[in-house]
Amino acid sequence: MSSKTLMYILKRILLAILTVWIVITVTFFVMRAVPGGPFLGEKAITQEAMDALEAKYGMDKPLIEQYTTYLTDIVTRLDFGPSLKNRGRDVSAIIFDGFKTSIPLGVSAAFLALVTGVVLGAVAALRRNKIIDKVIMVVTTAFVSMPSFIMGSLLLIVFTMTFPIFPANGTTTMGLVLPVITLALYPMAYITRLTRSSMLDVLGQDYIRTARAKGVAPGKIVFKHALKNSLIPVITYFGPMLAYIVTGSLVVEQIFAVPGIGRAFVSSITDRDYPMIMGTTIVLATLIVVMNLVSDILYKVVDPRINLE
Amino acid sequence: MKIKRMLALALALVMALAMAGCGNGDATDPTGAVAKNELAICLASEPDTLDPALNAALDGATMVIHLFSGLAKWDSDGKTVLPDLAEELPEGALNEDGTVTYTYTLKEGLLWSDGQPFTAGDIAFSWKRAAATETAADYGYMFEVVKGYPDDLAVEATDDRTLVVTLNNAVNYWNELLAFPTYMPVREDVVANEGWATDPSTYVCNGPYAITAWAHDSLITLTKNENYHDAASVTMPTIKCYLSDDDNNMLANFKNGDWQLIDNVPADEIPALKTSYPDEFQTIGQLGTYFICWNVNESVLPADSTLTGAEKAAAEAEIRQALALVLDRNYIVESLSQAGEIPASSFVGLGLTDFDGSQFYQNAGHSEEFDGYFDVNDVEGNFAKAVEILKKYYAFDEATQTFTGGPTFTYIYNTDSVHQAIAEYVQGAFQSVGVTIQLENQEWNTFLNTRNNGDFSVSRHGWVADYNDPITFLDMWVSNSGNNDAQLGKGAHKDLAVYSIDLTPYGYDVVVENGTWAETYDKTISVIKSCTDAETRYALMHYAEDLLMSTGCIAPIYYYTDLYMLNSSVNGFFVNPLGYKYFMYTTVE
Repeated sequence: MSSKTLMYILKRILLAILTVWIVITVTFFVMRAVPGGPFLGEKAITQEAMDALEAKYGMDKPLIEQYTTYLTDIVTRLDFGPSLKNRGRDVSAIIFDGFKTSIPLGVSAAFLALVTGVVLGAVAALRRNKIIDKVIMVVTTAFVSMPSFIMGSLLLIVFTMTFPIFPANGTTTMGLVLPVITLALYPMAYITRLTRSSMLDVLGQDYIRTARAKGVAPGKIVFKHALKNSLIPVITYFGPMLAYIVTGSLVVEQIFAVPGIGRAFVSSITDRDYPMIMGTTIVLATLIVVMNLVSDILYKVVDPRINLE
Repeated sequence: MKIKRMLALALALVMALAMAGCGNGDATDPTGAVAKNELAICLASEPDTLDPALNAALDGATMVIHLFSGLAKWDSDGKTVLPDLAEELPEGALNEDGTVTYTYTLKEGLLWSDGQPFTAGDIAFSWKRAAATETAADYGYMFEVVKGYPDDLAVEATDDRTLVVTLNNAVNYWNELLAFPTYMPVREDVVANEGWATDPSTYVCNGPYAITAWAHDSLITLTKNENYHDAASVTMPTIKCYLSDDDNNMLANFKNGDWQLIDNVPADEIPALKTSYPDEFQTIGQLGTYFICWNVNESVLPADSTLTGAEKAAAEAEIRQALALVLDRNYIVESLSQAGEIPASSFVGLGLTDFDGSQFYQNAGHSEEFDGYFDVNDVEGNFAKAVEILKKYYAFDEATQTFTGGPTFTYIYNTDSVHQAIAEYVQGAFQSVGVTIQLENQEWNTFLNTRNNGDFSVSRHGWVADYNDPITFLDMWVSNSGNNDAQLGKGAHKDLAVYSIDLTPYGYDVVVENGTWAETYDKTISVIKSCTDAETRYALMHYAEDLLMSTGCIAPIYYYTDLYMLNSSVNGFFVNPLGYKYFMYTTVE
């Protein structure tokens, strides 16, 4: 790796830290500006109890002081603080528990999408305008345009109720099969279409024609020359997609009762669980920033002509 | 051919990846065969807390009563309260200063789930902790009947088996309080660890069950606690409490037999479920009322009205009462909410009993012909009455028989399909009497904030009692109550002196003519709270509800019901009047 590349990566890491800091700052002040609070409920607690709670969680101090304390805790101890909603639990423990399910689920779905997407896309490109290409295009168009709650509900009804092959709750291994498929369908369809168009583009290039003229075996042309170069758009898409899919899909988690991190994101906001909002936001922001960086570096691996400086 | 092989290979790879990637866990039998020594239920999503002092949720309460045992417990008929840790529930001894002292003797040989001996001191510690300001428990106020509340509670253990507690005055629902989750005991050394109630390894309890596994947001496993003093009567060895709040997912798990009880169903499935699962689909009363709440400080008069002071207040009360008559509650429960709710004509909900054991709501109002303050079944009569009243205040075109130029209000409700359907119905109904309603849908927490601050004209509201006593519906409307969303006795209404009370027929020398809300309503409530004669107390509570309803700020819609689905193979299940579900005495066929 050249020193220029190293410099580039270092620059990107610094930029990433800056981005995450901006996200922290904006989220911190915006969430506190939203009406409501963590200790509001259908039944109001007394003012004394409210004061005691605010003092306990340091919310009685000036906002700017709370902000600096929060930043210091994050930087020095990686401490996200206690959840205000799930009393007695730390935000980091809740996020960790969520990821125990979300990471296997998201990674499985992402790789399922990647493998099937690339294969189907390549097949469609190689059999352009043949019946198999048309079938793949129709099916992927349907999957791209179908929201996951419809697909999820459909799979739930068919495979847990009409034909009870899988359990309906995602607390067991078998219970995660349907959520994986639901999560994978959209990115799979998208990757198929990306691969197809990119592959068609590559197959028309001069170097492919040269390879053919040289008498290189068709299989080698496809795998060694065409496929690798058609993957650049897929890589661009795959990095952030993986981050999003791992940090959870609220809809899929709801439908299949999967104990992932996605629900924590949304419920933290409705509950005004401030430390939880911050924790989940920081984790998502970091993941996306890192994934983008990884995609950028992967470009160079796939296509050495790309200059990272 | 090659392509086919490639596809087959890819598919195999994909399946392998999907399987390999999904963490460890037990496979569930998808055929749904019910294991006889285990019950699978789903009440709600992850409980906010399972610390009995801090819990404020109904699903949490059900969990707590399976994990803890207090001085008293509900009987399996779901109606009476029996001694649990206490050998008996004695009558209190009246002291000279009007306070009442109870002395309880604990059963012998009581143990915590970790085998340590249980003492009366544990109870005294737990009660003081739950009531203390510092603990900031939502239900800390459940101890307000105890002398010295909140920070100097008059409860002490005179020895390991004797507990002495002094109440401010006689309270006829005291035994029910002893069975309430907030009154359940915890141990001092256990709760010193702040996270004790989130991890099975640190969770020490004394009830029928102990937590043996807790996969957060997923599953809590309760296993019979052999150290429980009445373990012999517990028939269900294991309860698996799945944590989910998705109605559709719950229903799928119920239908395929994986779960034997689900505590909610999708609203749009209710009519179909009633016919397809007549034995499994259950509804019970829930001690609660759904109502429309008016902000007393927002005028309901037309903009050009010149009324002021007492006349204005009287006119506004009359208009609000008239608008409540415009609504067809039977239509709302049958076509909109559809969960078997009961149309309401009073504020204090269904299931709260009166002095003589009858329903409090049936004795509300003063009509011989119907229950409550109006006849929910006389829709046309009510509408005609409303029109006659509103004609006095709103412009009415006799030729077209329509109201013209009525006021415009914003009706707020929190995001929910049933609340929205009711809001739209209210909008249409009020339009027919010339009142324009704009609907504003707010996210839950924002909604609570808006309503609590009184930044609204009219709002959807609901209230569910904590215990079977009408006072829980009535004391929320005193001037300084945090739940007084109608703003009675607050803001401009604070100085409005138009209310009168006369409590002499009840044996109290209290007569107020044209007093403020604080001088009348608050006074009545404080008299009720210190009243020791049960019959008089109930009569006074009817009196207070009359005063409340006279403001027109509360337009009752329906009495809440709790609906759930229970697999017909389960026997021995019951629900108490507060809606806690009991699974410990169940068996599965």
